[in-house]
Amino acid sequence: MARTAIGCEPLVGSLTPSKKREYRVTNKLQEGKRPLYAVVFNFIDSRYFNVFATVGGNRVTVYQCLEGGVIAALQSYVDEDKEESFYTVSWACNVDGIPFLVAGGINGIIRVIDVSNEKLHKDESVRLWNVQTGICILIFAGAGGHRNEVLSVDFHPSDIYRIASCGMDNTVKIWSMKEFWTYVEKSFTWTDLPSKFPTKYVQFPVFIASVHSNYVDCNRWLGDFILSKSVDNEIVLWEPKMKEQSPGEGTADILQKYPVPECDIWFIKFSCDFHYNAAAIGNREGKIFVWELQSSPPVLIARLSHAQSKSPIRQTAMSYDGSTILSCCEDGAIWRWDAIPT
Amino acid sequence: MVSRASDSSSKSRQSNDGLGNLTYKLNQLKKQVQAERVVSVKDKIEKNRKKIENDISQLLSTTSRKSVIFAMDNGFGNMPLCKYSGFPQGLGDRDYVNSHEVVLSTSSKLSHVQKIPPYTTWIFLDKNQRMAEDQSVVGRRRIYYDQHGSEALVCSDSEEDIIEPEEEKHEFSDGEDRILWTVFEEHGLGEEVINAVSQFIGIATSEVQDRYSTLKEKYDGKNLKEFEDAGHERGIALEKSLSAALDSFDNLFCRRCLLFDCRLHGCSQTLINPSEKQPYWSEYEDDRKPCSNHCYLQAFSLSLSLSAAVQDTVEGSAGNISSIITNTEGTLLHCNAEVPGAHSDIMAGERCNSKRVLPVTSEAVDSSEVAIGNENTDTSMQSLGKRKALELNDSVKVFDEIEESLNKKQKKLLPLDVLTASSDGIPRPDTKSGHHVGAINDNELQMTSKNTIKKSVSAKVVSHNNIEHNIMDGAKDVNKEPEMKQSFSKGELPEGVLCSSEWKPIEKELYLKGVEIFGRNSCLIARNLLSGLKTCMEVSTYMRDSSSSMPHKSVAPSSFLEETVKVDTDYAEQEMPARPRLLRRRGRARKLKYSWKSAGHPSIWKRIADGKNQSCKQYTPCGCQSMCGKQCPCLHNGTCCEKYCGCSKSCKNRFRGCHCAKSQCRSRQCPCFAAGRECDPDVCRNCWVSCGDGSLGEPPKRGDGQCGNMRLLLRQQQRILLAKSDVAGWGAFLKNSVSKNDYLGEYTGELISHREADKRGKIYDRANSSFLFDLNDQYVLDAYRKGDKLKFANHSSNPNCFAKVMLVAGDHRVGIFAKEHIEASEELFYDYRYGPDQAPAWARKPEGSKREDSSVSQGRAKKHQSH
Repeated sequence: MARTAIGCEPLVGSLTPSKKREYRVTNKLQEGKRPLYAVVFNFIDSRYFNVFATVGGNRVTVYQCLEGGVIAALQSYVDEDKEESFYTVSWACNVDGIPFLVAGGINGIIRVIDVSNEKLHKDESVRLWNVQTGICILIFAGAGGHRNEVLSVDFHPSDIYRIASCGMDNTVKIWSMKEFWTYVEKSFTWTDLPSKFPTKYVQFPVFIASVHSNYVDCNRWLGDFILSKSVDNEIVLWEPKMKEQSPGEGTADILQKYPVPECDIWFIKFSCDFHYNAAAIGNREGKIFVWELQSSPPVLIARLSHAQSKSPIRQTAMSYDGSTILSCCEDGAIWRWDAIPT
Repeated sequence: MVSRASDSSSKSRQSNDGLGNLTYKLNQLKKQVQAERVVSVKDKIEKNRKKIENDISQLLSTTSRKSVIFAMDNGFGNMPLCKYSGFPQGLGDRDYVNSHEVVLSTSSKLSHVQKIPPYTTWIFLDKNQRMAEDQSVVGRRRIYYDQHGSEALVCSDSEEDIIEPEEEKHEFSDGEDRILWTVFEEHGLGEEVINAVSQFIGIATSEVQDRYSTLKEKYDGKNLKEFEDAGHERGIALEKSLSAALDSFDNLFCRRCLLFDCRLHGCSQTLINPSEKQPYWSEYEDDRKPCSNHCYLQAFSLSLSLSAAVQDTVEGSAGNISSIITNTEGTLLHCNAEVPGAHSDIMAGERCNSKRVLPVTSEAVDSSEVAIGNENTDTSMQSLGKRKALELNDSVKVFDEIEESLNKKQKKLLPLDVLTASSDGIPRPDTKSGHHVGAINDNELQMTSKNTIKKSVSAKVVSHNNIEHNIMDGAKDVNKEPEMKQSFSKGELPEGVLCSSEWKPIEKELYLKGVEIFGRNSCLIARNLLSGLKTCMEVSTYMRDSSSSMPHKSVAPSSFLEETVKVDTDYAEQEMPARPRLLRRRGRARKLKYSWKSAGHPSIWKRIADGKNQSCKQYTPCGCQSMCGKQCPCLHNGTCCEKYCGCSKSCKNRFRGCHCAKSQCRSRQCPCFAAGRECDPDVCRNCWVSCGDGSLGEPPKRGDGQCGNMRLLLRQQQRILLAKSDVAGWGAFLKNSVSKNDYLGEYTGELISHREADKRGKIYDRANSSFLFDLNDQYVLDAYRKGDKLKFANHSSNPNCFAKVMLVAGDHRVGIFAKEHIEASEELFYDYRYGPDQAPAWARKPEGSKREDSSVSQGRAKKHQSH
């Protein structure tokens, strides 16, 4: 890492918990022995904000968090291919707003359970799909594309044209589909075979940031800034500063850092609540760090630990208001933590 | 040093104080900057927070609106499969957690979907591309992960490429700039101050100094810059020289592919100028039709009718008249003003104008022509003048400096200067030159000019010397200017004179280019190169003047050709030193680049040269003039000279193409075919390309009449389909059936160096899929990220296709050909031709078949395998 110049220092959060909020374990489920790679709350439909989904092995499961630490299993899907290992799951919805689940894994097949939207491949590209019609609309790859597998993609919260992706080539890339939006619209009305859709290549991202020197395994937009993490025991908040004349170039101004000790392995993903007030991330030793995202300097809300939670936490999920945190672990366990009412 | 130390001991204490002060100051500044940074970050985050709030509220409204519209439950409302009670109060850190095993009896099955083979997105290329610098993997750390362990595994392929972090130039932040600026403004640029600052920021002192000077420029130069900018806006392209204007053309235009920004041959190629100039198209002037209203032919017809009577006395054609006029005028000029071009400009302009516009003036011209005609009859006089002119010219030549400075000045507003000079220089000059100009219009040309000639003969040497002095002195006398203008107005020269005499450098250069291209054809030059700038008439006038300005060259019209060449060379040598230098430098840089490539990897070169399967050599055009000798890089490199070389067509190293009868270039009997080359319509005698449908008697575009050895060049490929292979992964399939030796398509990709290929090969080997293809001694084709569908054709030891490297117009390209008759929708295979110990396990043959392997012809291409 280059030395930071004077006047560009990031604000680093202190690891002393502010104890603004405290969490207690309220439930623990054991879903087989295979690692659980993803757990995600539904933020698509407000009726089901307490519903979440997990993936692990060839199974996708939908649960509901109920009062008093109760977790209800709602649905379960099992891929007939025992070799399938789902790595990620996401919520989506069709044009009518009906929530769907999208899961992808080692086989490179995107499973859309009830559905319509986008996801990534085990590929060196990012692909935009219209899953309602099964059309691959755009492929973000080429001369400026990722040079290794893509690990995470996030849509800009307000600018629908903009997405950020990161991957094993150590970079975060911001893509714009503004010029290609007509194809997105076209995909909804396409009646011919999906394979005949004029899929377009987006070869050049609008911005490439080398903020990290290792795999970048998770990135999220925080307004116009980007939160991303690598294996450096921290989440970094930075501002992409683009140069108007030369697309693709620019500098990243690292604003804040949220340290996460013992978080030096890859494929540990963080999550935010609906309002982006807080982010929760697990670490290699089964501990969870909850950071207040939008205070400056960052404030650690809580550090969650339990004697029995020793396995690496692959992903966390924060509920709509941040009152519940779920973590899924390498050993197949799901932990539920609830905020203690004050 | 010692003395200095003692000398400044008193000072040093003071400066120590200053230094302490300085450190304090620096720390203060740093704190200030950092505090401001904290505030600015806070600000940013606060602003961003508001934005997020706004975004979220919108999102929220969409999510909740849905629930209103779709009150019906769809999916989750059903009875849960199972409920797991938790610990409502929560547990402490140490409390035992009893976990619920999730065992679900009912789960929906996701039906089996066939897996698709691994696939990496790639970009279609219809022709090979050279790798862009930023696509290199050399020197970049590549991280792999263990497929099974799924943990990150930092893995470098070889220890040698642990990257030395390059000494990057420090990028100064605003904060550092401020510290720098404030400190230096307050404390000055003393050594201690610089040292302290550089230490404080942690960079080299030189960088600090550099930065300070840039900052100084930035702050101080702001006003200046604005001023300059304004100036820049006014400057238009016409002020540039032709070489500057052509610079981007020379840099960006690929003369081999005839397109800009060629991705195959790259920018800034060495410019090769063919030693043989193409003969330009010449026409007899009599046959020409006027190209426009301003065509010089129009003017001739006018002058012809006017001077019909005179014509007889002179030789017949108008062209001759004009040239003689020019000559005489030139001569007059020399005698008078001692400067060739300058004065003739005036006269030419005058004549031109008078011919064009005013009947009165044309009368004058008429008479002047008569006068000249008369003079012409007086041959002794004329020849005297001519000889004189020659002598003069010689003597002028002696004074190179003068000539040069004259030439330079000529370019600008030269009649003025020269006349001034002459009028200064010659004892009785003012009256004379003034008189002379006036004389033309006063129909007294004859006498005066004779007098002038006589007088100036006597005055020749004197005036010459005088001119020298004057010009050396920087002669432009401002006081004379009004006088000059007077003499102009006296001469009643309308504005046209100025216009036509004002040839901008770029126009002159364009004109010379035009002469090079079209010969002395003012119509074509004006239309093609100077349209909107100069009319044909002006060009023609300029042409005559410029030839008269070099009287020793303009004697006979027949020597024009030779002369123009000379003009060109003279021109290049004298007036345009910038261009050749530029070229030379560029050429050298390029060579260096190549030598770096070759010097960097001798082992790789060796590997290929030593191996029995000699790989082809990359062709680079040579710039030899006329014949290639031993120094020729092509010869040296072992390649033939091609049509892109500078050498002449009769060069012994040239590949001469074939003389096969029509459509016979399909076997090794055709020398092109035998040499692994495609025929070239520019080189081969009977292989030509047609674009018509045959209605004009030319051979149809495709079919029997056409040479069968230009298929890559003409892209006569088959339709290839991509689908899951019957063997492994993806495969390429044929849409329509083809017969033996048919061309299927080109295997395109990125052209990468062997070093790069070795590096990439290691990466690809891990993924067990490689699209590398040995092309020649310099390049390997990589179709991994860029290529076409043929990259998916699989390997087979019993293939139905073969790959062959062909030299097509100087470039090596890989063609895939049918080895046998192939039915429609069959999968395509070819032998990757791995070296014996290079083949991956799956491509290795059973022991017994080895002999067969080596017996296959060596001319066929093989896949690249890294070592």
